[in-house]
Amino acid sequence: MTMTDSPPAADTALAAISPRVVGLFDALTTTDHKRIGRLWLRSGLLGLLAATLLGVVLTIENSNSSPDDIFGGINSFFQYFNLYRFGLVLLVVAPLFVGLATVVVPMQVGATNIAFPRAAHGAVWLFMIGATITVVSVVSDGGWGALDGVTGTERDAIALTLVGTGLVIFALLMASVCIATTVVSLRTSGMNLLRVPLFAWSMLVATSVWLLTLPVALGNLAFIYFDLRGGPRIPDETFGIAEGSHAIYAQIAWLVEQPQIYAFAIPVLGVLGTIAPVVAKRRHAQHVVAVALIGLFGLLSVGGWSQPWFQGNNYDEKFVFIIFGLFAVIPVFGSIGAVADTIVGRSSDSDTDSAVSSDPGASGESGFAGLLSVYGLAAIGAALLLLAGTVAGLARVIQPWDLGDRTTETSVMNLVLFSAVAAAIAGIWFWAPKIGGHELAVSTGRLVVLDIVAGAVLLGGADFVSGFFEAPAFGYHVVGSSAPLPSEPSNQGFVEVMNVVGTIGAVLIALGVLGVFAAIAKAMRSSDGVDDNPYGGQTLEWTTSSPPPPGNFSEPPERVVSEAPLLDTVNENGEEA
Amino acid sequence: MVATTGLPAPEISRPRSLLVGTMFSCAAAFVFFCSVIGVYILERAEARDEGAEWFPRDVIELGPSGFIFWTLILSVFTVQWAVQAINADDRTNAYVALALTGLFGAAIFNQMWFIINDTGFALAADNAQFLFFVVNGTFIVFLIAAVVFVALTTVRALAGQFGPRRAEAVSSAAVAWNTVVFMWAIVYYLIYITK
Repeated sequence: MTMTDSPPAADTALAAISPRVVGLFDALTTTDHKRIGRLWLRSGLLGLLAATLLGVVLTIENSNSSPDDIFGGINSFFQYFNLYRFGLVLLVVAPLFVGLATVVVPMQVGATNIAFPRAAHGAVWLFMIGATITVVSVVSDGGWGALDGVTGTERDAIALTLVGTGLVIFALLMASVCIATTVVSLRTSGMNLLRVPLFAWSMLVATSVWLLTLPVALGNLAFIYFDLRGGPRIPDETFGIAEGSHAIYAQIAWLVEQPQIYAFAIPVLGVLGTIAPVVAKRRHAQHVVAVALIGLFGLLSVGGWSQPWFQGNNYDEKFVFIIFGLFAVIPVFGSIGAVADTIVGRSSDSDTDSAVSSDPGASGESGFAGLLSVYGLAAIGAALLLLAGTVAGLARVIQPWDLGDRTTETSVMNLVLFSAVAAAIAGIWFWAPKIGGHELAVSTGRLVVLDIVAGAVLLGGADFVSGFFEAPAFGYHVVGSSAPLPSEPSNQGFVEVMNVVGTIGAVLIALGVLGVFAAIAKAMRSSDGVDDNPYGGQTLEWTTSSPPPPGNFSEPPERVVSEAPLLDTVNENGEEA
Repeated sequence: MVATTGLPAPEISRPRSLLVGTMFSCAAAFVFFCSVIGVYILERAEARDEGAEWFPRDVIELGPSGFIFWTLILSVFTVQWAVQAINADDRTNAYVALALTGLFGAAIFNQMWFIINDTGFALAADNAQFLFFVVNGTFIVFLIAAVVFVALTTVRALAGQFGPRRAEAVSSAAVAWNTVVFMWAIVYYLIYITK
């Protein structure tokens, strides 16, 4: 007889290794998409905590007339202000959505793993290295330019910031290829693109837009870096690294301004479209319309063309910019309308759908009750914040109001990005059983959502109102200007009151983020099990156990015939077929 | 009658994920390239509008860059030859075609090195020379990536991993290679022909 069992000595040796060492080894070598996704989520949440705390300090400083109190000078304030802006986009929102997608999308499309799992794993570590380099270099007087002259040491630190930012963007591009390829080529049998769950579809649109726009930023950074490290250093805005120049920021600011800023909020519509039918306990009433609207929002968020090299500093007066700003509201408003149709239940086939729902008592009322779930509240709050952000963006492009270069730009950024944060939190609460095998606390979750949505409204709203009183958007004001300090608003007293309101908003957001960490810590200590499908989910990820096994499914999913496969397995009597 | 009940289920056809992923990557790489070449076009137009000289006269010769162009055109045929051969299960021809493509890549790298040294340009001299380095440097980076892709595909082909039903990697390498050829066609026209 041939012995095939492992020798006992090997088991003993493995058992002798500390679980922490094994865990670290797994984290460094895993190709399981759920583990990789959790690494992204931890990075994004850590970034969120740091960014919101930095936001509080910045708004407190902004409430004073002098920027010297906390940061010790305009240059330092400028650097941290930019760290907040770029950090919120590249180190918080993008990794949170990439993390959610890395965990959820393969299961939603019925795949056993993400495409190119080793590349996906490499991307997350590259991201963490890049993020660390970026933060450390900014703390070491680096950043995206300087206002009051650049010394030799600062020049090195700035170069390091450019390298760190480049690594972060490259990592996001690698992850985007993995996610997009998963949706395109790893879908299960019968799942055509119209049957792809809306979150997976929104991530396909978002990653496609990122792949077509973030390389432009990478090109900008490469130019600036090489010029900084031995280029001609022309003393104008050409490459943006002249002595005392702030123009590095100006050349990549399009990343954090409309329309590009919308690209980071595309998954908000996907989260909304996935969660709303679950809380309504019926099919999405306008699934195909929602698919089209998410695609349209993706098209209107392509912003690589607005780079100052291509458009000049007055690109915001051009026809295309205005059209993008005006039309971006339509897909967001339409998506919210489609969800309202689903929840209120006025769709033509709602009777049929409620008849086949897994919950025989499903009705319009239960839909309203479901809205009070954490993920329901967060998804709706995120959608409304995004609508507010696109409306603020619409106001920004109305030329007679002349809101360019004012706090209106910051308002659009904060409203859109915190709508993305709220959507990510909705996703974390909704898919927590699949992410970590736990349910997150409902009471804490409601407070978190309330804090973050209310805080974002105060923060973004205050900036939006201040814009009408000519409050300058810091940094942007100084582009092309010899004055290093922002100009005076038309009503200084009112703007200062608005700054205090903004500070209260930032504090609320920070408290909400602390609540997220508290809820996750509580769930990790809990030993309670969780059902496979505790919320009545309609897509394939809910057919597997919580947490899912390696390979996701114990047996391959059946052929998919609609966008809500779990509803198809229930017959007209509400019984499993 | 042949009993079939005991036979294993047929193998599920392998998803074309590598080809799709390569296409996404090539699209991103091409956007990066366009962002670089776009700056070149704008800066050159601005300089000419001001009546300034862009490159010093007679420094950039058309010959060496033309050799690169025609070598790359040849390599398009060899890489497609590899795809056709692997689909026809003609391994010998596939090995030869992939090896030739890699060899052409190495030759182009050598020629690029010659051009950069031959011009005598300096990175810090002026905008034109700086942009010359950045655009050509970008092309070299993508060329190296494509050569590595072809080399890895060749090694895997030699290990017998590909055949008519598993030709995806060779097709993917061809997509990446053809993208790089298209990039050079743009560089050749903008920098070397129209200067």
